[in-house]
Amino acid sequence: MSGHDSKYFTTTKKGEIHELKEELNSQYKDKKKDAVKKVIAAMTVGKDVSMLFTDVVNCMQTENLELKKLVYLYLINYAKSHPDLAILAVNTFVKDSQDPNPLIRALAVRTMGCIRVDKITEYLCDPLQRCLKDEDPYVRKTAAICVAKLHDINAELVEDRGFLEALKDMISDSNPMVVANAVAALAEIQEGSSKVIFEITNHTLFKLLAALNECTEWGQVFILDALSKYKAKDARDAENIVERVTPRLQHANCAVVLSAVKVILQQMELITSVDVVRNLCKKMAPPLVTLLSAEPEIQYVALRNINLIVQRRPSILAHEIKVFFCKYNDPIYVKMEKLEIMIKLASDRNIDQVLLEFKEYATEVDVDFVRKAVRAIGRCAIKLDRAAERCINVLLELIKIKVNYVVQEAIIVIKDIFRRYPNMYESIIATLCESLDTLDEPEAKASMIWIIGEYAERIDNADELLESFLESFPEEPAQVQLQLLTAAVKLFLKKPTEGPQQMIQVVLNNATQETDNPDLRDRAYVYWRLLSTDPEAAKDVVLAEKPTISDDSNMLDQSLLDDLLANIATLASVYHKPPDAFVSRTRPTQPRDDEEEFAEQDSGSGDTSAPVPDGAQVHGGYPGAGPSGPLPPPGGYGAPRGPSPPTGPPPAPAAAPAPAPAPPPPAPVPDLLGDLMGLDNALVPAGPVTPSAPAGPPLPVLLPAPAGQGLQISGQLMRRDGQVFYSLRFDNNTQMPLDGFMIQFNKNTFGLASAGPLQVPILQPGTSANTLLPMVLFQNVAPGPPNSILQVAVKNNQQPVWYFNDKIHLQALFVEDGQMERSTFLETWKSLPDSHEVSKDLPNAIVTNSEATLERLLKSNLFFIARRVLKDTNQEVLYLSGKVAPNVPFLVELTFLVGYPSVKCAVKTPSPEMAPLFFEAMESLLR
Amino acid sequence: MISQFFVLSLRGDNIVFRDYRGDVPKGSAEIFFRKVKFWQGEEGEEAPPVFKVDGVNYLHVKVGGLLFVATTRVNISPALILELLQRIARVTKDYLGILNEDSLRKNFVLVYELLDEMIDFGYPQTTSTEALKSFVFNEPVVIDAARLPNLGPAALFIQGTKRVPGTSVTKSVVANEPGGRKREEVFVDIIEKISVTFNASGYILTSEIDGTIQMKSYLSGNPEIRVALNEDLSIGRSDFGGGFGGVGMVILDDCNFHESVRLDDFETEHYLTLVPPDGEFPVMNYRMTQEFKPPFKVFPVIEEAGPFKGEVVLKVRADFPANVTANTVALRLPLPKTTSRVSFELEAGATGQSTDFKETNKTIEWSLRKIVGGSEHTLRAKLTLTQERNVNIRKEAGPVSMSFTIPMFNASKLAVRYLQVVKKSKSYNPYRWVRYVTHSNSYVIRV
Repeated sequence: MSGHDSKYFTTTKKGEIHELKEELNSQYKDKKKDAVKKVIAAMTVGKDVSMLFTDVVNCMQTENLELKKLVYLYLINYAKSHPDLAILAVNTFVKDSQDPNPLIRALAVRTMGCIRVDKITEYLCDPLQRCLKDEDPYVRKTAAICVAKLHDINAELVEDRGFLEALKDMISDSNPMVVANAVAALAEIQEGSSKVIFEITNHTLFKLLAALNECTEWGQVFILDALSKYKAKDARDAENIVERVTPRLQHANCAVVLSAVKVILQQMELITSVDVVRNLCKKMAPPLVTLLSAEPEIQYVALRNINLIVQRRPSILAHEIKVFFCKYNDPIYVKMEKLEIMIKLASDRNIDQVLLEFKEYATEVDVDFVRKAVRAIGRCAIKLDRAAERCINVLLELIKIKVNYVVQEAIIVIKDIFRRYPNMYESIIATLCESLDTLDEPEAKASMIWIIGEYAERIDNADELLESFLESFPEEPAQVQLQLLTAAVKLFLKKPTEGPQQMIQVVLNNATQETDNPDLRDRAYVYWRLLSTDPEAAKDVVLAEKPTISDDSNMLDQSLLDDLLANIATLASVYHKPPDAFVSRTRPTQPRDDEEEFAEQDSGSGDTSAPVPDGAQVHGGYPGAGPSGPLPPPGGYGAPRGPSPPTGPPPAPAAAPAPAPAPPPPAPVPDLLGDLMGLDNALVPAGPVTPSAPAGPPLPVLLPAPAGQGLQISGQLMRRDGQVFYSLRFDNNTQMPLDGFMIQFNKNTFGLASAGPLQVPILQPGTSANTLLPMVLFQNVAPGPPNSILQVAVKNNQQPVWYFNDKIHLQALFVEDGQMERSTFLETWKSLPDSHEVSKDLPNAIVTNSEATLERLLKSNLFFIARRVLKDTNQEVLYLSGKVAPNVPFLVELTFLVGYPSVKCAVKTPSPEMAPLFFEAMESLLR
Repeated sequence: MISQFFVLSLRGDNIVFRDYRGDVPKGSAEIFFRKVKFWQGEEGEEAPPVFKVDGVNYLHVKVGGLLFVATTRVNISPALILELLQRIARVTKDYLGILNEDSLRKNFVLVYELLDEMIDFGYPQTTSTEALKSFVFNEPVVIDAARLPNLGPAALFIQGTKRVPGTSVTKSVVANEPGGRKREEVFVDIIEKISVTFNASGYILTSEIDGTIQMKSYLSGNPEIRVALNEDLSIGRSDFGGGFGGVGMVILDDCNFHESVRLDDFETEHYLTLVPPDGEFPVMNYRMTQEFKPPFKVFPVIEEAGPFKGEVVLKVRADFPANVTANTVALRLPLPKTTSRVSFELEAGATGQSTDFKETNKTIEWSLRKIVGGSEHTLRAKLTLTQERNVNIRKEAGPVSMSFTIPMFNASKLAVRYLQVVKKSKSYNPYRWVRYVTHSNSYVIRV
């Protein structure tokens, strides 16, 4: 061994590459090895040493494992950018996979699987087949993982070559490491597939349980996670599994413990014997507590999981509340989680102890933690009615210390306590009022104002107190303004004297004239009208009894909790979100239904659509704020609104005039229906029939007759003379004539909307009509990642409104000026970063004649750029360009064997998120 | 499974980076570092170990001043990843002797080789130093430990065990000694972290011991080792409050064991049999909430001494035998926010003590280099306040927190009765070290 590796980092001279080249070709082994190390060093710091590819690959044929590994490391890194050169290495790989040394065999298969180059993949199959049956378990376990690698690159190949069967056989392997890896590989393949690939049967169950005791800690986790998906037949089956899994709770590895807990909790659902369940709960408690002795990072994961477990089975840790007391040196993220669990475990029995702790925490340094501790006291008060008074006393003590943020936080929770226990603790209002002028946070102010308004009749100087807030009314945040408005009305209704009357005038004026906040204005107007027409009714509305609020510390919804408990010991249990809310698959592992794919992407990127608040609640979030916040009087304001559109905010005003190329201007908007349907675009009444009814293949059915009470609608987007049309067909299979057809489109990715009226004649029973509806783009663009969904609503005078979904076919949107010069194409291709290149195999696409295909593509405005033939494989490569309005170019590379199915389509575009839509279009064009 | 693994320095430099699946963009390390550094938009906020950005999940642990990070896109077991990251750190330390930026950079080829054996396609494979030895061929470049300040567990033993050569725990398990042959030795360390909370009247509110029996073996030929523990050991608290335990019994709440440990005779004879793999590993972890005698009693007095004045007296008493000495003792007391000035008064003849008033968080710190068992020390401080107090001064101050290390002492009384290496030959007599150390975890005295 010669000196430090770090010396390899030091060369920066100009002739470096040349020097390295020479050294790599040196006949001395040590010099060679050093040179490869230098190359790797340069590679790891991000230098481009790909020009040394041939020289490095030449070093591959060596018996020296150390050197071989280095070369392999290099290969994995650069094979993708130099696929043609990588093929040079194939022979050595294939040879190595038959080497007498098992380490070399395994290394070859492991490395080949990491090189994601199609050409290598083909050669991988035979060595892999052999290695799956290798005599050495180290080789077999490496081969098992390699099947998962191959599946990731080419799923069909894995199925065709029978590798799945081989993997399943490996579950019975004599070596537990092999079993564990086979299980891991199968689980991953199953994850990305809708077919049943890996199902635990009685037989495999037995094998897995046997391997569980023998394999490494990681293998145990793989197997336990697989077991957690097994549905036991009956209670006895479940008990049997639990019995075999329970010893895993003693494992020093926390991942093993948590996965074992998951299996046990799952099987417990089936166990009927109360004694067995009680016993299991008792067994699980100490290991769960022991997780809290691990590193803080693991404690955090454990606490998030325990949070879920105690919601379902509080008995497990009911007596262990002390272990959740915060240590002064716990990281803040651990402290926050402990607080949550303390609230959940708080009971009449331990509340005094818990309150003492909370009180201590409320004097600590970290402001977020202090706030959360104060809120925790309030939540305990709401949860435990017998302890409410004690909690309030603690809060009062804290208020007396006069730390500003403690006081404000206390006032916020006391407001909730008042809601929970009306007319019980008002005696403390005087104390609260002492801190009135120190309040500077909107929520605290709003809470205090709510309290004053709610108890106006018992606070002698309520009007003065409110007055003091009124001066700054215009500057206050909306939250405070709304509360001031309501409180002023309450005060007036309770004490209709001169002072409050003046005040209400001022407030209403302010809230209607001086504001541009529609909520505030609306609420003010509603109050105003109520007060001026019928003050008694106003009383009934504004001073109505409020529904009581309840303890919100078990805040998860039952079905979500079920879902999360099934996902204990996964990321879902840390985020407290169901897996499909954050797992997104970017690689096309399986050709799948596009709609499904888009749905997934939607929920993956749009955190807002998730059912629970984001992980942000870790830091001071207050999940219960919803139900317990200061509510407006029930039924107080706001006329009931029409149903909101399924996506997005309330409707925008009528559609803007359509851009050029100008179709006939849109007809006036019928208001009523627009509101009723709650959709975005202009509704267009039916006019006279157009003669341009298209001929051609039948249109896809969008609304089948049974679903449309006899009306069938078929349709498709198409392009004609540079314009997009919606080609539609209506079949009237009802017993009555239908007329007055109108159509409307919801917001969509391309902002497609009708550019003219829908022209359908009166449809007599048993007849049908075809029409072409001119469309415009970018009228009402839906935010978020692109998808192909087009939501349509159609109405006529006789039937209810029909809603259906259509798909936007990109081929209708390619514009006529999408042609590029060859040089522009090359420049654009180079200027776009690699991350903007997406490729996909289109298994159902086929090219039988390139000329005919090019002609067809040209009709859809995809323009030919260049063509070449790959010598070694006879594959043909076509380059094309296309453009989607407003200005999104697509640079396309199609690779295929003429006459054989499956076309590889690579596309480079500034908007790679559109690539899935593009592939879809391409596949249908090449069918 | 995991998509990428990387190690960053606390400045955000990329030291090691490995991509296993190619489904996470390359800039992930920067995205991660920015997120961790400015969690919730604020510098200094501590980021939780698991979070996600744009569909990529980031999991990390901090070890030895380095960030070990993994990324993934799937709904994986986070405990698995965090354990794996810890284990990677441990194996790397086993190989390199010392884990820091310098040693990683000097050994990057070895580190990549190790990583390739530990993780395949994002799945953890083998993380036992022992098993890895047969697949890993690079040899470590050991950096000179003597030049480095002692860090980590090694530092615990400097005081109490002068006989142990200083570098012993920082040497690589695979590298050979400069002299050629390796020294045959095995270390068994009983490391306990104790947490105690006293209420204002000096009663114990909660107390807990987290212990580990850690082993690091440099024995050739992997002989079997027997570790015998207390005869009066029992496991599992009885539901009757431990009343039947009897005086002096050691009762553990829960414990778990390394996978190499055979427990055949544990129930009856209380000894653990194992063939130790190479490298450092926990033989047994245990947890105890049984009452024990806390090593320190602290008597804080905080009084008003006029409208703008306060007085603090901190007295600390070492309740352990005189032949034991605690070191690096520090007491911290947060004072009222209105404190502007503090003047200290140490006892006459005090040596190795220092005091400090931290303006930023209004905390006094009292450090004592060592405290001999049975001794008592006092600190007096006079406070000047800028405002008149609203409430009792005690409500605005405290609690006292204390940190310390006590070599050759353990509060639980768990002991290794003997450590037997099954002999290969008569002349074979390796060095066997059994060491105890206690340090504070959360040691809090409320006022």
